[in-house]
This record gives sequence, structure tokens and C-alpha cells, in this order.
Amino acid sequence: MSDLKENLKAQIIEQLNLEDLTPADIRDDAPLFGDDGLGLDSIDALEFIVLLDSNYGIKIADPAEGKEIFHSVNTLADYISKNQ
Amino acid sequence: MKILAHSYVCPKGVSLNGKQLFDTTGEENPLKSAYQQLGVDYPKFYKMDVLSKMAFIGTEILLPFFPKELDQENDLQLIFANNSASQNTDNLFVESYEQLNKPSPSLFVYTLPNIVTGELCIRHKWYGENCFFVEDAFNPAHFSEWSQIALNKGNNSCLCAWVEAKTNGEQECFLFLLTNSENEEHSIEFELSTLIKQYRNE
Repeated sequence: MSDLKENLKAQIIEQLNLEDLTPADIRDDAPLFGDDGLGLDSIDALEFIVLLDSNYGIKIADPAEGKEIFHSVNTLADYISKNQ
Repeated sequence: MKILAHSYVCPKGVSLNGKQLFDTTGEENPLKSAYQQLGVDYPKFYKMDVLSKMAFIGTEILLPFFPKELDQENDLQLIFANNSASQNTDNLFVESYEQLNKPSPSLFVYTLPNIVTGELCIRHKWYGENCFFVEDAFNPAHFSEWSQIALNKGNNSCLCAWVEAKTNGEQECFLFLLTNSENEEHSIEFELSTLIKQYRNE
């Protein structure tokens, strides 16, 4: 699971062009969206959907699920491990 | 009408009022280098397309020259133009789904040239009017006419830009801040033509 989280952090940085961040800057439980976290926006949420599909073969059927799935690296990794 | 200040951004560097601020000649990523030299903390910069990045940098260095009495919510009109629209990003987006089979949402949002003005308005909380024209070439008369209309309507100032990113790699952003003036020594058209030639070393 820790390998998955580290891979996810690297993929998030690359896919979302977060060039001023390193994987170490992203806490496993930190909110990814909103001012308290990485400050990601709705376009980034779409990028997450593409990332899950292309890198893990997971399609999100209900976009409303995204809010919980994309909350943090922890929730993302948990969802991937259960659905891959 | 008079020019309060002007800036120029291209792969070779960034200039303000005719003087070079940052030399990015030979840099692998000139715009990233210029942004880092600018010392501004705005992570969204990294997500922007080339047009928005150039306009962002060129505008940041113009900020000290904005009139102090400017009501930024209402008194500023943005008048931007180029020739290639967003063709650079359009091609990248097509490539993302035709060749990479991964249509990129973050590229898609930049497949309109006027997103540039939107990025600046979000950054600086400008709520006035803005427009983006696609023209054959830099046209000083057009900028002059539209700025005069905007100023006559009660706007305090106009932020104008010729911001171009061609598919052959040529990039430039010439920004200039216009306001009303009673005394005009030269026509704005002549001054703008001269300035862009100087910046382009023509």
C-alpha cells in the first residue's frame, strides 16, 4: 500500500503539473481539494478520472463518488486497492 | 491617450519599459525560469498554457504602474489579440486523444485564446470587460480605437496585449497599459509600432 501511495503522489504531480511540489510535500491524509490542501480544482478532478482509467484501468461510473474517492492520497489508494 | 507602461515577454527574456529584467536565453524552459526569477508564489502558473504564462509574467511586472485610483473591479478593460488563437494548445489537445489516447481536461480548458484574459482576471480580481481578437498581425490602430471606446465609456485604463504562440515555436507577449491623457506628443499608433519593433529588434 505504501508503494501505491508513493506512486500516486508522483503521478499526481506529473499529471497535474504541480511542478513546485515533491511527493514528500503531499501528506497521505491531507485534503487534495480546497484551500486547506493542495488547492486543486474541478479540472484536476477530471484529470484524476483520466489518471485512474489510464494508469489503473478503473472507470468511475458515478462522478458523485469522486468527492470521497479523491479526498486524499489515503482514500485514493484505498479505492484503487479495492477496485483494481 | 498615453502609455503608462509596457512589457515584453519572449523566449529570450522579459523586458519592462524597454529594459531587460530577466535574461532567459538558452534556458530549457524560458517561461518557467522567468516565473522563478519573478519570485511570485502562484502554483497555478505551472498549469497554464503558453499564452497565459507569458501574459501572467508580463502583467505581474506592470502592476506597480497601474493608477492608484483604479477601481480594479470596474475601471479596467482588457483588450487582447493575436493571430494563431489557441492553435498551439489545440494541437496538443488533439495529440492527447489521437496519439496518446488520453484526452487531457487540463489542455482542453485552454483551447480558447480568451482564457488568457480569464486567468488574469481571476489572479487580480478584475471584474471589468475584456475581449480577445484574432487578427492578421499586430494592429496598433485597432488597439487604439478599442481603447478609446473603452476609455470614453468611463474605464480608467486599458490593459492591452498582443500575445502570440505560433505552432513553429515563435512566442511573444507585448503588453501595454493605456489611460486617458490631455497632451499627446505622438499618436499612440506610432508609439506602439515603434515599441514593438524595438522589442523585436526589427
